[in-house]
Amino acid sequence: MSDAAESTSPVAAPRLDVSALLQLLCIGGLGVAVLAVILWVLAQWNEGGAGEAVDLATGTVTLTLAQEPPQMDSTRGTDQVSFRILGHVMEGLLRYDENDGLVGAMAERWRIDDQSATFWLRPNARWSNGEPVTAHDFVFAWRKVVEPANASQYAFILYGIRNAEAVNNGEMPVEALAVRASDDRTLEVEFARPVPYFDKLTAFATYNPINQAFYESTDGRYGADADELLYNGPFVISRWVHGASLRLEKNPAYWDADRIQLNAIDHAYITTDANAVLNLFKDDKVALAALNAENLEDALQQRWEINRFSTGSVYFLELNHRPERLTSNYHLRKALQAVNDPAELVYKIIKLPGNLPGNSLFPVWLKGVHGHFRQEHPAPAHTPDEAQGRRYLARALDELGLEELPPLVMLTGDSPSANKQSEYYQNVFKQKLGIDVKIDRQIFKQRLEKMTAGDFDLVAAGWGPDYDDPMTFADLFASWNENNRGRYSNPALDAQVDIARSSSDARTRMGAMAEVQQMLYDDAVILVQYESGSVYVAHPRVQGLVRRVVGTDPDYTNAWIAPLGAG
Amino acid sequence: MAAATLSFEPVRIERDVETVARPSLSYWQDAWIRLKANTRALISLYLVIGLLAFTLFGPLIWRVDPAVQDLDQISVPPGAGRDVTVVNAYTPWQGVTATPLPGEPGRTLAAPAVLAVVGEPTTRAVRLRWEPVPGAASYRVFRNIFDPEPDGALGLPIGDVLNPANVSFEDRLDLKPLTYYYSVVALDGSGAQSDRAAATVAVTRVITAAEAAQKGLIEQASDARPGDVLQLQVHPLGTDYLGRDMLARLMHGARVSLFIGIIAPFAYVMVGILYGSVAGFMAGRADQILMRFADFVVALPFLLFMILFRILFNVQPGDDGIYPMMVAMILLGWPAAARLVRGQILQIREEGYIGASRLLGAKTNYLVLRHMIPNTMGVILVTLTFAVPSAIFTEAFLSFIGMGVAPPTPSWGSMCNEGLKTMLTTPHELIAPAALISVTVLAFNLLGDGLRDALDARMRSTE
Repeated sequence: MSDAAESTSPVAAPRLDVSALLQLLCIGGLGVAVLAVILWVLAQWNEGGAGEAVDLATGTVTLTLAQEPPQMDSTRGTDQVSFRILGHVMEGLLRYDENDGLVGAMAERWRIDDQSATFWLRPNARWSNGEPVTAHDFVFAWRKVVEPANASQYAFILYGIRNAEAVNNGEMPVEALAVRASDDRTLEVEFARPVPYFDKLTAFATYNPINQAFYESTDGRYGADADELLYNGPFVISRWVHGASLRLEKNPAYWDADRIQLNAIDHAYITTDANAVLNLFKDDKVALAALNAENLEDALQQRWEINRFSTGSVYFLELNHRPERLTSNYHLRKALQAVNDPAELVYKIIKLPGNLPGNSLFPVWLKGVHGHFRQEHPAPAHTPDEAQGRRYLARALDELGLEELPPLVMLTGDSPSANKQSEYYQNVFKQKLGIDVKIDRQIFKQRLEKMTAGDFDLVAAGWGPDYDDPMTFADLFASWNENNRGRYSNPALDAQVDIARSSSDARTRMGAMAEVQQMLYDDAVILVQYESGSVYVAHPRVQGLVRRVVGTDPDYTNAWIAPLGAG
Repeated sequence: MAAATLSFEPVRIERDVETVARPSLSYWQDAWIRLKANTRALISLYLVIGLLAFTLFGPLIWRVDPAVQDLDQISVPPGAGRDVTVVNAYTPWQGVTATPLPGEPGRTLAAPAVLAVVGEPTTRAVRLRWEPVPGAASYRVFRNIFDPEPDGALGLPIGDVLNPANVSFEDRLDLKPLTYYYSVVALDGSGAQSDRAAATVAVTRVITAAEAAQKGLIEQASDARPGDVLQLQVHPLGTDYLGRDMLARLMHGARVSLFIGIIAPFAYVMVGILYGSVAGFMAGRADQILMRFADFVVALPFLLFMILFRILFNVQPGDDGIYPMMVAMILLGWPAAARLVRGQILQIREEGYIGASRLLGAKTNYLVLRHMIPNTMGVILVTLTFAVPSAIFTEAFLSFIGMGVAPPTPSWGSMCNEGLKTMLTTPHELIAPAALISVTVLAFNLLGDGLRDALDARMRSTE
């Protein structure tokens, strides 16, 4: 009799029946809808923030930057982002034009022979505060570069000038640098040895002038902010919100202001996220987007016109040669080199057209005596050989007196492609040699700091050309070069670099650099990865964009916006 | 015969007059019955058990190293074709040269005549050659996975042939067993493009016998000859951006997630119980001080402390950040449990049976261990089951922003981070770990919900 009551005991918990499920779905659906509306409203509200990719009326092009320029003091800058901005706001004695020819910038004419060079400056060259650009500004800036206290990593690029090396080493006072302003408009330079490519050097950012009075008025903060800089180039930095945006506007005081057609270049976004940049491009918010392996298919689907160019840079794993590091062991380096397979890296991991498997520090586009350097002096042949690598490793362990190698530290950047490549190498070294690798991901600034301090075993590094001569790569691993982060030091290599930079005979110079190429391979100084290229999509209405191997890239100083329908 | 004497006998004393018809239920048995009646909680319980089995015993059955990179199958979705043809070893190609033909000035370039494939198009290389164009200074080769017609979207500029004497190109870039649309255009000195010559190429996947033996597809290299068709390794859930097996990575990733997700809450709930019961039992001023300290701990920012602990533990870059993460969770996570337990104890210590027990001379230890903590067990268990999903989620979040595991160790959070980058082209890399995180968190939450209902003593008393 109490059976009926039993079945409705309070133990019966709520069951998940159909109506409950429907209810759940309804509530869930409603929640999603409300969220979507809120997001949409927020997106609409945000719309006003940044403009369109190109704006004909105001002559503005909107772009992205990979990161905030770390060093806008031209005597101390070392990275591509800083050089890209410097190339738009500053001008040296000479510059590269839209066809990559050298033309006069601050200098209106010049003369270079084996012993000396003279530059005559333009009378109408002015700083953005209206003061004229004088030869004294160059003397001041160049002395600053070699001044030991300034610790410029690019000081070596001035070593062609007499006494520069001694001044930089603190053996002579800065006044001894053989650069003289004979009057306000004449700059005279004496060489330590013939520098046949000196005209190309003067187009490089480290050779830019600096106004002494202004530099001293900034009290050590020169280049740290938009108003801590004085400009003599086509544009000025009008607004710099650190970490967020950087806006360039046309410089009315620029001597050749008629040539500049854009009124403003707005770097409205600072991000390394390639997908975010591509989405901005898709939404017509930015005028240029580099593609990566992950979004290539997306770009194909959009049926965009895809462009490519070679950046001229070479990427490599640099080994640490400081004696306290394991990688200072020759056989360990050879073991790592033996399992390095650049072709696999490029074709299967990076997967971007434009990149070439690297065989040598000297990229294929460099000019030699007559043709290309690499045709005259082929790179050392390299075939990945796992068994050979293991033999080298066994010898290395023997020499080091170790049973097993402690983990090596590989310093890399924090971009997705750097992650992918470092994980690929981690696996290659583990699977083929049994070496454990720890990946140390750092942001750009931090990575540079750790590279300089030598806090790594391997570091993913790259080198872009500073001027159009194989020399820009050849002296990278000379013992005196500050950019030689692994502190590789080999008197034989130094001797060849010395021959290459002091001889005026092209054949001797190229021969010496071919020796350098061979030594870098034989001694496994670096593991060459690839010569980099880039594929990108550009706004069809932005005309006159110049992409370069050497010099400012991308260069918008000659760009203009085509009217609608004409592009 | 002796029946009469048997007519009387002593009445047996019946002790069990008031027999309980249904078996007596302990607290736990009752809770279990109630939980069983709750379908959602029960399904969640099985899911949790399944997940534990997946991560503990899965790797014993699916013996694939989660760090091994299968570079022939990068980012393949589940169920992709695995056929591969055996070929001879790769030999470099010298290309095809032809004498450049002079062009007539002022005339636009013609499209290259004939675009032909040399040899078999394979995933290792596609070799193209074309007829020289009069006046061409260089050639550019495009590749598309979609038909360039009708709007002439040529696709990827796969290569530049800068020497006009060279009329061939070898494409080795990331070839998949697909159909590709190749186009070749001639460029004059000023960079003006001609029309295109087109070729449609169906690529087959290939492998050499030596590679096949190395990957374990065949016993030894002599077991296969060119032309044989083999099957590549199986990846039930596909592979990630470096060709690593997703299933193996999910199993190993779950270890990190569940390890953190179960150990950390256990530890901090224990700390919370101790702290809360002491505070609750002492009451008064001591309780005030203890609980204000707990409030202070609640106010500490977790992420900041997590970073501080990384420094304190001297976590070198490239090391796992798992332990500092756990210590940070334990040190900052206990106040919630402590508050709950303290509240319960404050309530219980005023109950009559406690007073009775005290009058009978019970010591403090006895009171706490015998009466108070068991009576807060329900609250504690519920807190624990709700703490687990939040801990799993925290771990996933921290690994997602790169503060958790170090590569190549996978965790669900770091897998999501990697999958996110290729969300549009290869969604399976994101969906699998994200789904597992969602299911796990939901299962623990629903289980906690069910436990709360089942353990609630008040619901029991309404019976």
